[in-house]
Amino acid sequence: MSNNGATILRIENLHAGIPGRKILKGLNLEVRAGEMHAIMGPNGSGKSTLASVLAGRPGYEITAGSVTYLGQDLLAMAPEERARQGVFLAFQYPVEIPGVNNVYLLKAAYNARRKHRGEPEVDAFEFLELVRGKMKLMGMNESFLSRGVNEGFSGGEKKRNEVLQMTVLEPTLALLDETDSGLDIDALKVVSQGVNSLRDPSRAIVMVTHYQRLLDHVQPDQVHVLADGRILRTGDRTLALELERRGYDWVQAAPGAA
Amino acid sequence: MKSDPRQHALNTLAEQLGQLSPGLPGGSAWSARRHQALQRLLAEGLPDKRNENWRYLDWAELDRRSLTAPAGLHGGLAHPPGTPGLEILPLGEALEREGERLAALLPLPGSESDTGFDLLAEASTGTGWWVRVAAGVEVGEPLQILHQRKPDAPSHLRVIIELGAGARLHLIERFAGGDGEVLSVQATSLFLADGSALQHTRLFECSGESALVDQLEASVERDARYRQALFMLGGRVLRSSQRLRLRGRGAEAELDGLFVVDGQRQADLYTVIDHEGPQTRSRERVHGVASGRGRAAFNGRILVGPAAAGSDSSQTSRNLLLSPTAEINARPQLEILTDEVKCSHGATTGSLDPDQLFYLLSRGIDPETARGILTYAFCEDVVGVVTDPAVRRRIEELVAGQLPDRDLIQELL
Repeated sequence: MSNNGATILRIENLHAGIPGRKILKGLNLEVRAGEMHAIMGPNGSGKSTLASVLAGRPGYEITAGSVTYLGQDLLAMAPEERARQGVFLAFQYPVEIPGVNNVYLLKAAYNARRKHRGEPEVDAFEFLELVRGKMKLMGMNESFLSRGVNEGFSGGEKKRNEVLQMTVLEPTLALLDETDSGLDIDALKVVSQGVNSLRDPSRAIVMVTHYQRLLDHVQPDQVHVLADGRILRTGDRTLALELERRGYDWVQAAPGAA
Repeated sequence: MKSDPRQHALNTLAEQLGQLSPGLPGGSAWSARRHQALQRLLAEGLPDKRNENWRYLDWAELDRRSLTAPAGLHGGLAHPPGTPGLEILPLGEALEREGERLAALLPLPGSESDTGFDLLAEASTGTGWWVRVAAGVEVGEPLQILHQRKPDAPSHLRVIIELGAGARLHLIERFAGGDGEVLSVQATSLFLADGSALQHTRLFECSGESALVDQLEASVERDARYRQALFMLGGRVLRSSQRLRLRGRGAEAELDGLFVVDGQRQADLYTVIDHEGPQTRSRERVHGVASGRGRAAFNGRILVGPAAAGSDSSQTSRNLLLSPTAEINARPQLEILTDEVKCSHGATTGSLDPDQLFYLLSRGIDPETARGILTYAFCEDVVGVVTDPAVRRRIEELVAGQLPDRDLIQELL
């Protein structure tokens, strides 16, 4: 476990929800460069809300607290600004966008980041070679290149595509929202491989998941248990195993454990 | 009534036509038809806002324009030279050569109250094109006609296409030009004999101030197949009224349509698909985009007649409103007079999908470009049916040209 990296994400006392309903109720989290965190919790605990709030999805209200990303106020940034500064969300339910080509979107996203950093646009041919290499890693076939964004993809293909985008865009903060759900065991291995390939001393990865099985394939430095909008317990991988054995009720029944 | 500007416009037109008529082609059969149509037009007048099928049109804009007699238009024609079995003539020559036969072939404008523009086209018959493909002939290359209206004169245009039994043709028509002072009218008549197939790409790229009323009627006989890809992408006011008659057993029609209006522009598409024969099939899909103060209407009637048992029809209309001042009226209408038919229809009107939008933003795309990309994709869904690469490219440029951040969107092409 590396505790030496610079702080990439710091969440303090975050309260957030949708109109009429409080979902996150005082969440604290610190993630440093080089670390991988897993946030686990039962349905309705606020996992996806956390991922959505960090990526800037509209419709959420922040009522208290702060989120700092590389020393800046993340919540003050527009979603596209967060993306350009290196925040990437792998969606739980990636949308289909017929008529917009996969590679076109990926290239536009890649160039948006480069432009932000003052770098020239990537050469189309070089970019295609880069994508092809990553596709191989993700076990995706050529037909992907000519298809619309997630158009007609199976659930597993959509998740692979999310991780493919992530490996191409090389974010500073990678957020994965239930990327493991709906995957068969082979797809789970491939997706985990993609996530593992992203581990880097300069990068932080935060995975939100309901199931422990993803953690058979990736090795988070910290595991957090989220319940009722707060992190109730933090530990290492063995916490996930204990959760698997004893269920979430065990954590919720032991207040103040964090 | 004495100060009615429309009546005044019609009277002026009648005078002009009277002077022109000795020189118009087609012999006595056609001069009689023109005369008859003009008398009816003067008596019945043009339709107006009170007519259900014309209510969404910007009549103030149309009434401001004159209805001068046909002044011709520049034609452009591209077709494989010397294809045996393919005949193409300027309409005047065709009327001189076989005016009697064509007069017998073309039905007179109907007696319904909304046929005023039919009558206007009929009364002005003279300019246009006639195309015939002989029975059994398959024309390999697309036939392309460019109808370029002169900037200073209206043109009332007629197009007649005849396909013999088993004939096949891909016809591409582009309608361009026009100006802000006049109202142009055109009428197209299509005859598809048994087992023939017509693929018809129609691109309206009229200049920004033009006003055009387009009318089309197709007679589709037994096992014949008519496919139209319709792009209403230009003009200040553009109205298309179409009637596709599926007359013979197993006749088929497909219509893929797209209209895009911005600024003050207006598009109005009215279609009637008439299932007359048994086991006829139709599929209609219309996408519409309105931004700025653009206004559009789609009125799609499907009639399934008493003899049309076993017929199958589907209609979808999807509309995108990009500004609070834009307006689209979509009105599907289904009239079924027989049992054992399969009909489905659906219409939606809304703004861009917020989940798709957020997905693009979360990938670093700026909001304006993201909206442009999604709008383009919505259009591309229909543009994708165009098989001719050059025409498709042209349509894509026209669509992209109306969207924000066109440079980035051009990359999609």
